[in-house]
Amino acid sequence: MKVVDSTRRARAAVVALLLAPSAALWGQAASDIRFTDTRLKNGLRVIVAEDHVAPVFSIAVSYNAGSRDERKGRTGFAHLFEHMMFKGSENVGPGEHFTLVFNNGGNMNGTTNKDRTLYFETLPSNQLDLGLFLEADRMRSLVINKENLVNQINAVQEERRLGRDNNPYGKTFDAVDSLTYTNFAYQHSVIGSMEDLSAATVEDVAAFFKTYYAPNNAVVAIVGDVKTSEVLEKARKYFESIPSQPAPPPVDMTEPAPSGEERMTLEDPLARLTRVDISYLVPPSSHNDDAALTVLATVLSGGRSGRFFENIVRQKQLATGVSASKGEARGPGLFRVIGTVAPGKSAADVESAIYEEIERVKTGGVQAWEIEKARTNARRGMVASLQSSLQRAILLSEYALFYNDPGRINKRAARIDAVTAADVQRVANTYLTQVNRNVVTTVPKPAASRPGGQP
Amino acid sequence: MITLRLSIAGAAALSLASIAGAQVPQPAAPPSQGVVLKGKAPVSDQVLSVKLPRPREATLANGLHLIVLEDRRAPQISFTLQIPGAGGFYDAPDQVGVATTTATMMREGTTSRTTLQIAEQLETMAAALNVGTGMASTAATISGSSLTEHADKIMELAADVLLRPTFPDDEFARYRQRTVAGLNQQRANPGFLVQELWSKTIYGDHPAARLSVTPAQLGAVTRDQMVAFHKARYVPDHAVIAIAGDISFTDARRLVESKLGGWAKAGTAAPRTTDPAAAGPSKVHLVDRPNSVQTNFVVGAQAINRTDPDYDAVQLMNAVVGGGPTGRLFIHLREEKGYTYGAYSGLNAGQFKGSWFAQTDVRSEVTEPALTDLMEELRQIRDVPVPAKELADKKRSLVASFALSLESPQQVLNYYVTSWNYKLPADYWDRYPERVMGITTQQVQNVARKYLDPSKVHIIAVGDGKKVEGTLKKFGPLDTYDVEGRKVNTVVP
Repeated sequence: MKVVDSTRRARAAVVALLLAPSAALWGQAASDIRFTDTRLKNGLRVIVAEDHVAPVFSIAVSYNAGSRDERKGRTGFAHLFEHMMFKGSENVGPGEHFTLVFNNGGNMNGTTNKDRTLYFETLPSNQLDLGLFLEADRMRSLVINKENLVNQINAVQEERRLGRDNNPYGKTFDAVDSLTYTNFAYQHSVIGSMEDLSAATVEDVAAFFKTYYAPNNAVVAIVGDVKTSEVLEKARKYFESIPSQPAPPPVDMTEPAPSGEERMTLEDPLARLTRVDISYLVPPSSHNDDAALTVLATVLSGGRSGRFFENIVRQKQLATGVSASKGEARGPGLFRVIGTVAPGKSAADVESAIYEEIERVKTGGVQAWEIEKARTNARRGMVASLQSSLQRAILLSEYALFYNDPGRINKRAARIDAVTAADVQRVANTYLTQVNRNVVTTVPKPAASRPGGQP
Repeated sequence: MITLRLSIAGAAALSLASIAGAQVPQPAAPPSQGVVLKGKAPVSDQVLSVKLPRPREATLANGLHLIVLEDRRAPQISFTLQIPGAGGFYDAPDQVGVATTTATMMREGTTSRTTLQIAEQLETMAAALNVGTGMASTAATISGSSLTEHADKIMELAADVLLRPTFPDDEFARYRQRTVAGLNQQRANPGFLVQELWSKTIYGDHPAARLSVTPAQLGAVTRDQMVAFHKARYVPDHAVIAIAGDISFTDARRLVESKLGGWAKAGTAAPRTTDPAAAGPSKVHLVDRPNSVQTNFVVGAQAINRTDPDYDAVQLMNAVVGGGPTGRLFIHLREEKGYTYGAYSGLNAGQFKGSWFAQTDVRSEVTEPALTDLMEELRQIRDVPVPAKELADKKRSLVASFALSLESPQQVLNYYVTSWNYKLPADYWDRYPERVMGITTQQVQNVARKYLDPSKVHIIAVGDGKKVEGTLKKFGPLDTYDVEGRKVNTVVP
């Protein structure tokens, strides 16, 4: 099913969530991405969307396994496991997966966050068998041995050095999570600690694989220049005999009610400017207030017409940049504000200016053009995804996994359209409060000078 | 996650052999045990036939060349306007930073709109509009995109910014203040430091060495300089505008003529470039960054410009050595040895002679074996013919990924803009697969020998001098710098 072009018609809300590949149900609002949604006998969910504009298709596989599923003493495990998935399976040698994809002109990667592990490939449309085979073979028969594990522990530790330990503000991210969350699930970092990574054993990997990489714990989405019937037939051929497993234990994501503002100051020898990270605990993205919080982030920091840039960066010149963002989260989420203090200005002034802008939303509300801006943003985001089979595949698989609703892909604009100025004001008043926030201040620590005695 | 970071400049591979002499052990066979190919996965060897969509082109009365690629897939349009001669490359040596500042300041106010009005109008449409150029770029670029329904408005804003900027003093003062802070911050980033020293080493005094403006240079830029630069250099005579998306050629032409028809031809000659002088004999260059837990490397030499007949062969050679996770560098340094999160190589080739480079970041403790292995890869590609299967795989990869890139209309349009910029033959992209498939093993080895000449390859490192200086000295004569770029005495006497 081709994606029909005609968003011009309107931002028609809509949705066509199909539970069976029945063509009769297709044909909703013209701008919709249409798809089939099928569950194989072993519980694997397979979503297919056709689009024949270029000879290309993408596969996204979302596993219900993120760092939130890790236990104490094994932080970083979900991500380490992601690396293992490229080290070979029964019929695919170590590194052969990416070699085959790249040698055939494709692209692929894997990525892990708190909520899921995602693998994806984009390939020429004549390589459908290859893509499905590669994903199925490692879901069925990953090779787990000491040599691969040690090799990938090294690679992950290097990744940690690169991202966290050798860059300014690298440790700030960990500090924000550990200060804001009480529940271990979201409190620890995705990358994990060096000690825990070194402690990972082959037995850990094998047990994790059996539980979390079971077909009933994953969603596969295929989007692009393919035939739905052919994809489903091949998906059955390659995946359906992989045995299902008992569902993994549910994750307790509950957070206690906030107990009041907590503050922390970090010294960072690699930073040159002070940075203030303010975080507010907000509901999971499935909550009704999620869209209004997204609009609030746009009002505060969307581009150069956002209030933070205009007032704090451009007018007052207190900061070199101030951003607000609300990430996607299956559990309690964060509304984050990050201000980088301009040289010679104080962190306290930046922090006060940020609170002042937030209070202005609470008491003064928002203007019609600011709401319009958020709506057009959502609409353009949907339009842009029509040009990327990969982006659609990722969203379909994640929305199915997170919300049991792949059709959410077609509701992105409608969700934002439904938000009113009063909603934005209400969520600002509800969540952006002093008792609900935590503040991490990162200050530069001059490196010891040289030559001379260094500690 | 595997992250591709191909960003520097590129050039010729090298082998440390002559730099390092006997100190670097040199394994003989091409390494490959990091990846094992079982050959059981079902691969279609049918060649995907690809038809390159054709744009329509015209040169308008004021000299502006128009390229339009109609693509009705999504209700949006995007455009890129390139103005040769308006890039940082053309800054006078005593006015470095004028071009980039001019480009940035063009969005900060016009005769009819303030910076805030521009931002509000753009962002309410969720449209994008950027004016920019690089410190070493030959052209300035104005690019934008919007929903189809806003095509007229976005082009109107682009024309306003292009033709009627006012360079207001108060916005300039604000911009300067914001930017100086960022310039200071970037010196904290080892990736910046390694690129800075690399550029300086490879290009010397040539404008290609320019990577970032300094606070002092920015402070010296005046409004008069920007006004003069804008007047002299933002001319349509040799410019090109490319539009892709939900619009016909006729409508696009009408739109451009209505908004940019008043952009008057200046009668100036096409801007010219010169090649950088040779970079001097190979050396090792270290930025001593106390507390660094990694050593960041860029290794390479000057290479070719975009129209060099060796271009395709150098690209293929680069793909073998380090073009992505199937390149030898990634397979050996990361997959086999676990020294690093990534190791790649790249080629920079534009109007003037660019460079080939290999880059990686490794933990400090393995600085010596990692650099030894990296240098060995350069020797291998020069001294040992690439095995037939490996070369065939790389060719297939280049050709198939070209086919896949056609999913993006912007990318297709970029191919045609490149053709225009470099005056490539009309069938250049149609014949691309055929040209790549025809490159021989001998050609790859020839370009490796030619551009990875060990006597010309430089090693740039950023790391903790206390930990790595002794190691680096084993690889050749060493120059050491501090993080501010000043040459210093050795860290460890």
